[in-house]
Amino acid sequence: MRALCWHGRHDVRVESVPEPKILNPRDAIVHVTATAICGSDLHIYGGFVPGMVKGDILGHEFMGEVVEVGSAVTSLRPGDRVVVPFPIACGNCFFCAKRLFSLCENSNPNAWMAEKMWGYSPCGIYGYSHLLGGYAGGQAEYVRVPYADVGPIKVSQELSDDQLLFLSDILPTGYMAAENCAIERGDTVAVWGCGPVGLLAIASALLLGAERVIAIDRFPERLRLAALKLGADTIDYSEANVLEALRELTGGRGPDACIDAVGMEAHAYHNLAYAYDRMKQAMMMESDRPVALREAIMACRSGGTVSVAGVYGGWIDKFPVGALMNRSLTIRTGQTHVQGYMRPLLERIAKGELDPSFIITHRLPLEQASAAYRMFRDKQDECIKVVLRP
Amino acid sequence: MPRKLNLMRTDRVGYVVGGLALIAWAARRPSWPKAAAAGFGAWLVYQAYTGSNPMFRPLGLQVNREPALPAVAETLLVEEAITISRPRAEVYAYFAQPEHLPGLADATLDVIRAHPDEELAWRALRGDRMLHFGSLEFRDAPGARGTIVAARVEYVPAGGSLGAVLARLMGRSPQRLVPDALRRARALLETGEAPTTTGQPTGRR
Repeated sequence: MRALCWHGRHDVRVESVPEPKILNPRDAIVHVTATAICGSDLHIYGGFVPGMVKGDILGHEFMGEVVEVGSAVTSLRPGDRVVVPFPIACGNCFFCAKRLFSLCENSNPNAWMAEKMWGYSPCGIYGYSHLLGGYAGGQAEYVRVPYADVGPIKVSQELSDDQLLFLSDILPTGYMAAENCAIERGDTVAVWGCGPVGLLAIASALLLGAERVIAIDRFPERLRLAALKLGADTIDYSEANVLEALRELTGGRGPDACIDAVGMEAHAYHNLAYAYDRMKQAMMMESDRPVALREAIMACRSGGTVSVAGVYGGWIDKFPVGALMNRSLTIRTGQTHVQGYMRPLLERIAKGELDPSFIITHRLPLEQASAAYRMFRDKQDECIKVVLRP
Repeated sequence: MPRKLNLMRTDRVGYVVGGLALIAWAARRPSWPKAAAAGFGAWLVYQAYTGSNPMFRPLGLQVNREPALPAVAETLLVEEAITISRPRAEVYAYFAQPEHLPGLADATLDVIRAHPDEELAWRALRGDRMLHFGSLEFRDAPGARGTIVAARVEYVPAGGSLGAVLARLMGRSPQRLVPDALRRARALLETGEAPTTTGQPTGRR
């Protein structure tokens, strides 16, 4: 089969590889009909994620048709159309019982590696380094899905791949980012980053009752989408000082909640701290560039919530812990517990309350994935979200 | 933090011999790199004098001078615990099969104590040489969250604790094998299978 394989920094190639097999009784094999490139795939592409091995198949956002099931899978059968959640979770352990699926204790066969980095291991994730299990990903014609009896959600033929695909990651991720803000009537929410997750976080915050959302980015097409499609106020950080602009827009108090939908490769202008982080990251003295996170903490109103959806990997410094403590801020974060959000969000899509397909800018065959990664990284051609078809 | 004795007796002899050899070699025709080697030698001798290597603790190496079996003088100790969301009897029954014990290397294990639902203890011999011995203690997790299994495995490392450091850095050390065996047990008992990626496709290496 054809699959997108990682070969090093800025080097991904579509290659012929063997087809996946059932390895465990609860596995299924899914024929992928649509898969997307995630912003977090760009962290791998850029060489910021440790534990990658040459030849690893990438991709954790995918859906398709079941072609084979293991002996213990009774809830699915060949021919079923499914969307697969990106966290690999067993459904049986302490954390799965608490519905904290991305913290599943049983799905990462390389838990010892993650324990070294992070103290304890979260769940395994498709195509996201050997630290998180080294599972082959879904930017391929076929993919093996472990715990297929609890993860994938069956979907009807009436909705399109474009409407459903993002249930695998970014729609629940944007939704959980907004839910973590504990939005109350009258609240203003500021969102750093208007990529796919940021845009879906804006849509979700409005759905959850935010009075106003302020979107922060520098790409005009993204700010335009946030303003025209979702009705957000916008700040172009290439022109404005974000902290001053937010203070003014919120009557001198700050947004009630701030969402970081940027993560470890944040960018900033005319900012001494940014130059400092770039330098430290290049010298491997700091793993992440927390420019957006720092700004979100400084901007948040006292007693408010900072919700972190962007991915971080290691250590940062110059963390504004004084602001966090003295102003009673709450930080909420985590890899998304996708399994818990798929069904309610599917219902909202089916009812027409939510249609995440508005973020798609490019639909390409899997064969062009390598060029698609480059385009997405460089935001060429106003690229916001790429959907690949194997 | 008070310094803790963590070198084995045999190591201390080796550290003195190795350290003095490095210093003697460096002294014959001194140069800057050799001065660094001599410094390292002096550090080894100092460690032998204090009986403590500061690198062991971060690597999780623990020397035990009072082994649970009197047949050996000193052992390295691995202690690990895991909580499994299954009843105690079921967890005990799983480990009561000797092939499921978190043993090390390929040795036959003799179960030497078996108190149902409470404790299992074993030892591993090759010929009449003691390789390792260990025990599992079973107790209920507080709040009805299943069973806590506490493993204690002692072993006599090939090549002293320096050999143990090498094994640790190479990966297949008891400090890795014991927790991996416990995690595998939890996965099998809770989910009916052990997570794996062996046999999945990859691109050209």
